Amino acid sequence: MKNHQDTTWIGISDKNNDPEMQEMPQDEFVGLPIAEAMSSEAIVENANANRRDFLKYLGFGLGAATIASCETPVRHAIPYVTKPDAIVPGVASYYASTIVNGGDYCPVLVKTREGRPIKIEGNPMSPITAGGTTARAQASVLSLYDSDRFKSAGTITDGVWTKAEWSEVDKAIGSKLSAGSNIRIVCNTVMSPTTKKAFNDFKATYPNTKVVTYDPISSSAILQANQANFGEAVIPNYHFDKAQVIVSFGADFLGSWISPAEYAHQYAKNRNVSKGSGSKMSRHIQVESGMSMTGSNADNRIMIKPSEQGAAIATLLQNLGGGSSPYKVNDKAGNALKNLANELKANQGKCLVVSSSNNKTEQTYINKINEILGSYGNTLDFGAVSYQRQGIDAEIQGLVKEMASGSVDAVMLWNANPVFDLPNGEAFAAGLAKVGTKVSFALSMDESTALCNFALPTHHNLESWGDVEAKRGHYSLIQPTIFPLFKTRQAEATLLMWAKSPNFDATADQPYYEYLKENWAGMAQTAGFSSGRQFWDEALSNGVFSNNSNGGTTSAGGVSVGSGSITKPSSSEIELAFYETVNMGNGQYANNPWLIEMPDPVMRTVWGNYLSVPINWNGDSGKLEGFRGVGRKVPKGIADKLTVNYNGVEQTYSSVPQFGQMNGTASIGLGFGRSVVGKAGKDVGQNVYPWCSIDAEGNTQYYATGAEVSGIVGEDEEFGCVQYHHTYGVTGQYEGEKVNVDEVDIVPIGDGYQGAIVDRTVVFRDSLSNIDNLLADMKKKKKVAKHLNDATLYPFEEYSENLYSQGHYWGMHIDLNSCTGCSACTVACMAENNVPVVGNREVSRHHEMTWLRIDRYYYGEAENPNVLYQPVMCQHCDNAPCENVCPVNATNHSSEGLNQMAYNRCVGTRYCANNCPYKVRRFNWLDYNSADLFGGNQNNINGEDPAYYTDNIVRMVLNPDVTVRSRGVIEKCSFCTQRLQQGKLTAKAEGRRLRDTDIKTACQTACPTGAITFGDRNDKKGELNSKIKSPLVFRMLDEVNTQSSVFYQARVNNKKLDA
Amino acid sequence: MGHAVVSPIREPLITGNKTYHQITEDLCRPTETAPGLSWIIAFVISLMFMTFGVFCIAWTIWFGIGSWNLNRTIGWGWDITNFVWWIGIGHAGTLISAILLLFRQKWRTGVNRAAEAMTIFAVMCAALFPGIHVGRAWVVFFFFPYPNTRGPLWVNFNSPLLWDLFAISTYFTISLLFWYTGLVPDFATVRDRAKGIRRKIYSFLSFGWTGSAKHWQRWESLSLVLAGIATPLVLSVHTIVSFDFATSVIPGWHTTIFPPYFVAGAIFSGFAMVLTLMLITRKVLHLEDYITIEHIESMNKVILATGSIVGVAYLTELFVAWYSSYTYEQFAFFNRAVGPYYWSYWGMMACNVITPQLFWSRKMRRSIFWTFLLSIVVNIGMWFERFVIIGTTLARDYLPSSWSYYVPTWVEIGIFLGTIGIFFVLYLLFTRVAPVVAIAEIKHILKSGGNQYVGPHATHVLHEPQHGGQVDHSFMRGDHDANLTAAPLVPVVSDPPNFERTRVEVVEKSNDYDNDGNYIGLKNDLTKVEGIGPKVQEHLNNAGIYTWNQLANTEVNKIKNVLEAQGGVYASMVPGTWPEQAKMAHEGRWDELMKWQDELDGGK
Repeated sequence: MKNHQDTTWIGISDKNNDPEMQEMPQDEFVGLPIAEAMSSEAIVENANANRRDFLKYLGFGLGAATIASCETPVRHAIPYVTKPDAIVPGVASYYASTIVNGGDYCPVLVKTREGRPIKIEGNPMSPITAGGTTARAQASVLSLYDSDRFKSAGTITDGVWTKAEWSEVDKAIGSKLSAGSNIRIVCNTVMSPTTKKAFNDFKATYPNTKVVTYDPISSSAILQANQANFGEAVIPNYHFDKAQVIVSFGADFLGSWISPAEYAHQYAKNRNVSKGSGSKMSRHIQVESGMSMTGSNADNRIMIKPSEQGAAIATLLQNLGGGSSPYKVNDKAGNALKNLANELKANQGKCLVVSSSNNKTEQTYINKINEILGSYGNTLDFGAVSYQRQGIDAEIQGLVKEMASGSVDAVMLWNANPVFDLPNGEAFAAGLAKVGTKVSFALSMDESTALCNFALPTHHNLESWGDVEAKRGHYSLIQPTIFPLFKTRQAEATLLMWAKSPNFDATADQPYYEYLKENWAGMAQTAGFSSGRQFWDEALSNGVFSNNSNGGTTSAGGVSVGSGSITKPSSSEIELAFYETVNMGNGQYANNPWLIEMPDPVMRTVWGNYLSVPINWNGDSGKLEGFRGVGRKVPKGIADKLTVNYNGVEQTYSSVPQFGQMNGTASIGLGFGRSVVGKAGKDVGQNVYPWCSIDAEGNTQYYATGAEVSGIVGEDEEFGCVQYHHTYGVTGQYEGEKVNVDEVDIVPIGDGYQGAIVDRTVVFRDSLSNIDNLLADMKKKKKVAKHLNDATLYPFEEYSENLYSQGHYWGMHIDLNSCTGCSACTVACMAENNVPVVGNREVSRHHEMTWLRIDRYYYGEAENPNVLYQPVMCQHCDNAPCENVCPVNATNHSSEGLNQMAYNRCVGTRYCANNCPYKVRRFNWLDYNSADLFGGNQNNINGEDPAYYTDNIVRMVLNPDVTVRSRGVIEKCSFCTQRLQQGKLTAKAEGRRLRDTDIKTACQTACPTGAITFGDRNDKKGELNSKIKSPLVFRMLDEVNTQSSVFYQARVNNKKLDA
Repeated sequence: MGHAVVSPIREPLITGNKTYHQITEDLCRPTETAPGLSWIIAFVISLMFMTFGVFCIAWTIWFGIGSWNLNRTIGWGWDITNFVWWIGIGHAGTLISAILLLFRQKWRTGVNRAAEAMTIFAVMCAALFPGIHVGRAWVVFFFFPYPNTRGPLWVNFNSPLLWDLFAISTYFTISLLFWYTGLVPDFATVRDRAKGIRRKIYSFLSFGWTGSAKHWQRWESLSLVLAGIATPLVLSVHTIVSFDFATSVIPGWHTTIFPPYFVAGAIFSGFAMVLTLMLITRKVLHLEDYITIEHIESMNKVILATGSIVGVAYLTELFVAWYSSYTYEQFAFFNRAVGPYYWSYWGMMACNVITPQLFWSRKMRRSIFWTFLLSIVVNIGMWFERFVIIGTTLARDYLPSSWSYYVPTWVEIGIFLGTIGIFFVLYLLFTRVAPVVAIAEIKHILKSGGNQYVGPHATHVLHEPQHGGQVDHSFMRGDHDANLTAAPLVPVVSDPPNFERTRVEVVEKSNDYDNDGNYIGLKNDLTKVEGIGPKVQEHLNNAGIYTWNQLANTEVNKIKNVLEAQGGVYASMVPGTWPEQAKMAHEGRWDELMKWQDELDGGK
């Protein structure tokens, strides 16, 4: 009866094939004591079931079958056979690791649940970032679950990937490489000492190998200048916290330049004005053409055309007494630079001048300026120098020529995409065609990989072992947080295998891990550990370690400016500036929807790169005028399309009128327009790398002169912009009077540029010199609010005392001065709270789901205004307008002061969202998460099918502690209530009272500048209460009597009007 | 009925010299005959709109509210605009039924049935929107407190949306009962005339009405009770709808003026919709004798009054915004007037404040063309008003960062058109199954005393069969024929000889004379004759000339004598053309008269 060929049996008797066991299946109702039970009853004459019993059993059977069939089948749930030690279901484990992508660096703690990394936290032990993160680091976890990644090794023919076994590929490549092969490994900055060792071990076998390093957005000139001046091709160790006057020529050091999390952290330290009157803060002057994120934080901006940058640097140097400038800048900038020179001189030794210029001579000028100002040794040094940019552009250009000559046998693309991100990507592609063996280690298909023969996908960062030396003597380790999802192999291991390196044991269980460990074996002694094991365990657990013993120093003095030429200002009508955006980087993040949908901090646009064009206040007509009439329809959600024509290439862009954009210039973000990319990133924006140029020294120049920009050629009806309104009290001269531009600019009815704006109690801001007036104004407004709020039948104080005197009373403090607008918090919130990505069309209809948004306002003079950023999430009002209008009590108040949402109870009237003065409530307009009853309404994003979040791989990123919301319900910030619960449980398990700092919200931990503080308002000695006490603290819309729990600290800049 | 029903100085509410039987005939006929082509065309068009609307609703539920263009800032748009608009339209019916009943406005009987029906259909259309605009329409039962196993899970009694639910459902229930109660005797009338299956259906619908005194007594009592309940509802429903906005914190919504202003606006739009419908119904179903110019004028007066209240409310809002010196409030109104939705604000102002003021002119009030036009303008204006309050206000509130703009999708527009379709489908069906004018009630106000049987002007005329629309005037010619201003417009189906009916349907000729034999009956508007002003008319009346016919038959010299007797300016008047003009007026040759009057100079 039973076939025992299979290995399944029920018990010993089954296995032994006992006769008893064989009989059992014959008896259908074996084990059911029905017959016995019934026969024991006197009333039953025989053991047979009678009619009534039959009906009973029938009924029971039917019921049982029905109940059994009602059970939802559980898919993909595979229990552990043996539970791993580190995994407790429902409890998160954190692993220290590092997020690295080219020169991007962020030491992190990776939160894993049931073996899945789901969230990135900053590593507070890092001396570099001190726990801060960037949006890119936050989003990297999503790239892990990118379903467009290569699933295995493969061969590529005509851009089409075909699956291949690793062994076959190894064999195929092995047969093509010989000891004499001219091999070129093309990579972006590599900060890993062990990777570099692997390169060297590879070179030992293949001596004609050369590693060609370049950076798509290059700092080549800085390296060259430092090489020339100080003998070291490195990025100096900047100390933005030690500088009283910071001058940046185009360097977006808070957003994207070299090490933004580190610099932002330093920068914010010196700009804290929480004590109010008498506070001191640094000065920051940005010299640039478009409004960068850093420029938007600057106290003063000096506007120049991109081609004037060299002249501006030279002019400053001249004003400081360091030679004469061959060129002049525009008069306004010239005057400003004169004043700037004086200010810098007055702050000798406390200045820092940086520049993103990629002209070697200009960078030597910068070095000279810093030398004159006595910055070396004070605000920048060559101790812990940065290794975050190592690429020399000339090298890759050399390779292009080399390939063209046909002398290269093999090219290995080490996560680099030169075909896309070089100005002469086409030349690179043409050269590549002449190379015999082309290997790409990229994780997914890109423009360059498509031209290779072999795709040998490496692990994702979160699946890899590795190490990083981002700054000299400061190391961090990378450890895998998940078993590789696909059949990938770490690229270093691949190289070492091919090289048959004696240092590498390919048969080991985790060969590259052993190799890595071996490399650090010597470190234990140096770092003062008793054993290698102890060192390794601690280093791995901490994720970071430092060893300052090998810090080199470079003597200051004797900087000689280069003999090369600086850029000559162009006289062309329109110049284009190309810049690295905060979210898209150099294009490596093009398939990451969290970053694509993260609004550009300044323009507030998503899903693409937009042409930012100047906007002017025309004091004669009383109107704000966009470049060539652009932007009149922006308040109605329509962007004007303009055509940009450069070098015979024509591209059409949606335009954004941008305050602070120099007249005669326009800016476009780099890194967009990837053509060979995964589903999400396809055709998002347009590629402007080909418009960059290469100067005489081979360095890439990120601007173009002589471009033609047309007038309005069309309208973008799907303008993905989350914030139309620009200004918050921007002033200008009109008919001899200083006016609020918005209030005047309403003349054409219905066509008011941005409508009118009045003196709202949304934010408070002023300059440091005016801080006493600001405080007086705030006091007055608070008094008015108190007067209004006291006129109530329900005195709030009594109520809150009764309600919150026990237990916790959560609140948040946000320092607008520390907030740089970098949006790490926005992405962190999306990751933590399963906030869906909705796509460009939905954002253009204002269906974005972000729980935490950053509002950006311009203020000050219309010509060149200042900017402030205000992160806005649910304010958790104690007198919440949303709560009393919900007909079904779906949103209500907790005894700890939280405004809670019961998604299950929500009917979706949207009244709460209407009645929210802060507009933080988000409605699930469509089924963004495929969490819905209906199958037919899944929303398709960027042409994807199925929609993004329906992909089972992508869904692995979802936080299991947070409900995935279905269509038709309202959602909003919960103050990370799951973290509150976790914190409380931990405290309870540890048998102690919850401390103020036990719980940190996702936005708080993500913030590189510590602008966000969460805590318990009942903890009188806690950090939150100490911060709330600042006289600069206010509550948004205080007079509406919402009694919100989020406290903002006013924005204070250090603007000098004559500067 | 007593002769005191109609004020002697007022014109009768039913013209055409109707008999009780004629009323029954006129009003029951639409339920008994096959619909005409115009009805069929209207019905098919309405049905098409309705079908499209139902499709759009299904689309919305299937794909989600994301198939609309509402957004994070503007959470309510066309949906709630249409909801409030329909609710407003649904106000006239109950007002006419209940409040005007309590105020003893007898003219209401001509229009109350149709207005009540309209109310019910409008409330049905309105109630649709809250049902489908929610994100999860399948859990709207959460709105009701219901027993459940999850413990005490109550609704939020603080929420105005919940009050709304109760207010509207109560209003709908009472209105429906009121309407149906009124229909019972009329259904019985239809039943008595019907045969076969129709008789069975109407028999069921009329609840076994026999017309006994007890039935009438109970019927009257119930009507009174329902009127008593309905009266406060008229005020409460829109008050509570206004709470949806007034209890919020959004500038532009958060105002105490909303309840009275909403109620006035609702009555305003309700009457406008009643007029729109009644003017068409009146024409199509030939009910000119029941819904007279007097009715139209009365309703226009209500429109004028409520329109002015609404206008004052708009201005008060502006004043308060300025006076409060609250920046957000000020901005809200500023934004309404000059923001991106300025057109809806100015559309509202033009349609609701300015155009109703035309009704200060009596000519306008009594002009069918202008009334119809303005009733539509008012309905458009009131839609704008709701859009201004909802869409425009939400688009730009406290935080400039979140300001947005919104244009509806085809789905939203489709649903609105769909509700119009539903409304007209129901209304058109109603005109075919129920008498559109309350037969039982209108007979109350038919002016008929016993005068026709006594006194010098007694007319004992049996109702003779009439044929093919031809009326034999000869048999009606008594001592005067003042009432016969025009031939009856409707063809009358000949009655079978029926003793009982014939006995009842003795033509009550006229009670135009009081007991002393003095004429107090119908007066024509003699001022229609060019040259005659109100004063002259008074003098002519004093001289015994009340109607155009009388004037037409008066010799010029005699008129001159009357005028000269007054002396002064009157003595020099030249009444040469007056009889001829009056004749034209009497014979209804208005076009000709107008043309002639254009040529005349001061009646000379």
